[in-house]
Formats: sequence, C-alpha cells, structure tokens
Amino acid sequence: MFATSTQVKHWIFSSPDELHKCRELANSKFSESHGGAQSHFLQVNEERMLCRHFENVMKEFCVKFQPPMPRNTIATSFAYFKRFFLHNSVMNYHPKHIMLTAVYLACKTEEFNISVAQYVANLPGKREKAADLVLSNELLLMGKLNYQLTVHHPWRPLEGFLIDMKTRLDISDKTVEGFRKGAEDFLDGSLLSEVSLLFPPSHIALAAVVYSAQKQGIQLTSYISDILLASADDAQKGKVLGAVKEVIAVVGNVDRLQRDKVKQIEKKLEICRNQNNNPESSAFKKRKDRELKDDDRRREQKYARQAAQEKREQAQVCGIVDVSK
Amino acid sequence: MDDYECPRCKTTKYRHPSLKLMVNVCGHSLCENCVELLFARGSGSCPECETPLRRSNFRIQQFEDTLVEKEVDIRKRILRDYNKKESDFDTLNEYNDYLEEIETIVFNLMYNTDVEETKLQIEQYKKDNQAVIKKNKSKLSQDENYIDAMLEEEEQQRLDRRRQALEEEKKEKVAKRKHKEDLIDELMFSDLPADHIMATHTAKVPQAAMDGHRAGAATFSSGIRVGVVTSGFLPIPKKDEGEVYHHTELLLTTLGPPAPNEEDIVTAGYMNHVRSEEDKERAGGYTFKLACVRALQDAMQGLFFTPEPHTSLEQEESYNDVA
Repeated sequence: MFATSTQVKHWIFSSPDELHKCRELANSKFSESHGGAQSHFLQVNEERMLCRHFENVMKEFCVKFQPPMPRNTIATSFAYFKRFFLHNSVMNYHPKHIMLTAVYLACKTEEFNISVAQYVANLPGKREKAADLVLSNELLLMGKLNYQLTVHHPWRPLEGFLIDMKTRLDISDKTVEGFRKGAEDFLDGSLLSEVSLLFPPSHIALAAVVYSAQKQGIQLTSYISDILLASADDAQKGKVLGAVKEVIAVVGNVDRLQRDKVKQIEKKLEICRNQNNNPESSAFKKRKDRELKDDDRRREQKYARQAAQEKREQAQVCGIVDVSK
Repeated sequence: MDDYECPRCKTTKYRHPSLKLMVNVCGHSLCENCVELLFARGSGSCPECETPLRRSNFRIQQFEDTLVEKEVDIRKRILRDYNKKESDFDTLNEYNDYLEEIETIVFNLMYNTDVEETKLQIEQYKKDNQAVIKKNKSKLSQDENYIDAMLEEEEQQRLDRRRQALEEEKKEKVAKRKHKEDLIDELMFSDLPADHIMATHTAKVPQAAMDGHRAGAATFSSGIRVGVVTSGFLPIPKKDEGEVYHHTELLLTTLGPPAPNEEDIVTAGYMNHVRSEEDKERAGGYTFKLACVRALQDAMQGLFFTPEPHTSLEQEESYNDVA
C-alpha cells in the first residue's frame, strides 16, 4: 500500500528547494563537527555533482551486472543512494562505497537473490576487500535509512495505466503498446533525476505515458480528466495535470555532467573526507583497532561483573558468610 | 540439573544419559560406575575428602547441591538420638533451646566446624538421656500405629461405598422392570388413550432416576471431604468488561480515484487486455485478476497526493553515528 507507506510519510518532498536545504543541513553538520567551515571543504553543489556522477556510474554498473538485474532492483538502489545523501554529507561517507552497498542491499530487499561472492565478481580489483567494504557498510546504510526499506516504483503503475487505457480509452491495443517503449525509456532516464523524491510513483508513471504519447502526436489530456479522474473535482484534475507537466520538465532538464569538473571535485574530496570512514587511512585502522580492544575490554568487564554477582547470589542463597572477609 | 557430571571420571549426563550420581555421608558425589570401581571390596575412602565410607551407605543423589544431601544425612542421624517431644519440656522456651541446639549441631557437622567438640557433645547427650531416648523411640511407633489405623479405615470406607453402589444398581434395575410391567398392565387394562399413558410414564422416569442419584461423600485421610459441596454457592466473580465493542469498517486510504476491484475487472472488460494465466500458474493459486487489480490499484494510488513541506528537515535518528 503506497498510501500508508513510509515513502509517503518521509521520503517525498514538496520542492527541489527542500531537498537542497536538507543537503545544506547535512553539509553544515559535517563542517561543524570538523572544526567549522573551511575553504577546502566541498560546497553543497559540488557534493551534488559528485553524487550525480556516481549515479551515472551506478546505472552503468547495474546495466552491465551479471546476471541481469531487474528494473525494480535498480530503481530501489537509486532510491537508497539518493535518500542516504539527503541526510549525510559526501565528505563523511564516500559515495563510491555507499553506491556499492546500496545496490547490494537493494538486491536483498527486492528479492534478487545473489551472494556476496557473485556480487563482487562484477567488480574489478580486489574482491575480498570489496566484499568486506559492502558488508561493513550494509548496517550503516540501513540505519541511516531508518530501516525504511520498502520503495514503491513507477513500473507497476505504468502497467496499470496501459491496461486501463486499453480498456477504457477508445484506442487500439496496438497504439497503446506503442507507448510502452517510450515510457520505459522515460522511466529509465528519470532515475538520474530527483523526481522520485518529489512525486509519487503514479504521477511519474502517468507522466511517462503522456510523454511517450506526445512523441507520437497523441494527447492524453482528455483521458486523464474525463476517464481516469472522472470522479474528481476540477482543482484535483488541475493538480494532477500540473504534476505530470512538472515531472516531464524535471526529467527533461537533467543536464550532462562535465567530466573535468567531477575529476577536480574527486581530488578535492580525497583531501577533506572524513578519514575515520576511509578504509585505506591509518585513522580508520586505528579506530577499528580501538573498537576491537574496547569490545574486548567491555566483554571482560562484563564477565567479571557477572561472576562477582553470581558469587554473591550463591553466598546469599546458601547463607554462607565468608570468614576471610 | 541436566549438565551435572561425575567429579571423578568427568562423565556428563549428556554423554551418558542414564548416569546416576550417588552420595555418601561426606556429601561428595560419585557416579555409579565409580562407586562400583572404588568400593569393590565393600569399603574405602572418599576420593575427595578421604573419609572412610561403606559401599552400602551410598544412595542416589536427589538434590543438585551435595551440601543438602549431606545435611539430610546428618539430620537423620542426629534426630535418631535427639528425639524429645514438646511434651518432654516444661516451658516452650526450653523446647526452643533444645531445637536450636540440634540446628547448631547439624550446622557444625555440615561445615566441619568444631567436629570433635560436637561429637563429644552428642556422646554426652546420649549418656545423659538414655532412658528418654529409648522411651521416645517406642513413642514414634505409636505414630505409625495411628497411620496404619487410618489407612485401614479408609479401605473399609472404600468397600462400603462399593457395596452401596452395587445395591443401588440392583434397586434401579428392579424399579425399571417394575415400571415396564406397570406400563404394559396399564396399556392392557386402562380405557385411556395409549398416547396419554405413554406421556405420563415417560414423565415419571427422569424423576425416579433423580431420586436414585445421591452424591456419595468420601473422606480422605488428609481430612478433605470430596463429593459434597459444603458451603452453598460461591459468589460469581464480577468482571469489569469495559465498553462493548462496536465494529467499524476499516478505512482504506488510497490518495487517489477509486480503483476497480476483482469483480469490476471481469464486468468492465479489463481481462480482454491481460494475458490469462496458464495451468501451471493456476496450480500455484495465481489468477490474472490478482496482477491486473494490483497494477490498476498501484496506478490509481497517490494520484491526488501533494507532498507537504516537512516540519523538520533533520532526519529523526534511530541510529547512532559510529564516527
């Protein structure tokens, strides 16, 4: 049920401005906790550009993935990635790592059954290291998503609109089937935009159909207002039509990234990123070491405490008074 | 209790399910096999405390804590001699002092404190109270007599009850036969219609049965009377049931125009545009309606949804940052 989902409650925002504000907040939080704003830190728009770059990388990775990945899984991984970097700064967590983890987690939640070994076989470079990275980030990602892992996508609504149009619209089945290819391409393209954080999936699916039909010279405005929303009032109809137009505009406005600029930002990130979360840095190793030792110590303390407690209880039960004390 | 082990051969209950631990007077446990092995000659010493033991004194350990076993042993031995009754004392205080003395002795022997002194004390007591001890020993048998008598009485009562039941059964049989004969007689000689006679007779029967059914009271040796309700009715406990439940239809929010349900799919002709299921799929419980309804519902849902600005842009943290 989409209407009662966490997606509606927490993950659909009213405007691109709101998204921007979220990212600004995450960015400022990072710089606050690392000694105030400094010139070598990344700006919000630079962070965004880097994220978009990695979205492109992710898409390529998913499309080339063996065995071929279902579209729902791809869309879910995009949703996780986008949601994660709404509330977290790129400087804190490297998008490359989060990207790999997001795809792996999406494989699980979308029931695209795959083992870690199979998963990292799709990656170049050292496999054990990659597997380690993915698994160690998995819980972090889930936690940062507040364990809201169910994501609704426009694919099924698209199917629904096609069936509905075939049935209720006076138009041949063949024409409707003709919309499919264009609509699916539109949805594929929409992954690279922010549209899934701004609109419910049904709006996106409707926009995809409308866009595809427009390309073939067919207007669906009458279908929407007279058939689909026959029971609604004019204000609601206007809202839906407006939303559809907006979705098309947002998806169409995705501009190309400038390669050289992205390269620059990546270099900058290497300097300012949180070394505690960089598995190659000495700070990270130190932290892991400390955590391990802390764990050991805590465990020892716990056992000692438990043993003492047990001893006391036993003495109490038996009524033995320790003479030596 | 499941994971105890023999302290000598380290066999556990897990590895040897029929393992039985035995204890002797010293309170150290040994498993059956070890007892057989160590005390093949009938006597030997405890492998832990070197106390000389007899094989015949080994018994199965009943308590997990061997200290308890030891105490039970000691208490039994002590009470054989310390068998005075409350009636042997003039005041309650004296009796209480006596009881406390017993406890002290048991405690001392249990934890091996002042063993020699305690033993001397017991010897002294035995010497001083020889006559009383002997007398009280026979007194104990009086208690046993009493129990025997009680058991006998119970047996007698049981037999009585059985005889009564047999008699009643016989009586009932006779009554039934008589009733049947009466009915036939009446049917033969009376002028009344047969239906009427039958009706009056059947009405009589349950009453007679009720008369014959008497609740048999029984008394057990524990003094509890069974089979008789002694004190009328118990008050029916009143329960606070709260408010009466009213069913209200669950509200389905879809944030969109109404979507067709499974019946509409057939009547409105949606099925003409959907691939119908194969036999193989139907075996698993799938019908094309399911997929079709779901797609349509998903398409309609959320169409009227317009996102509100979030009250707080900060994410509610349910997870503590590691770094």
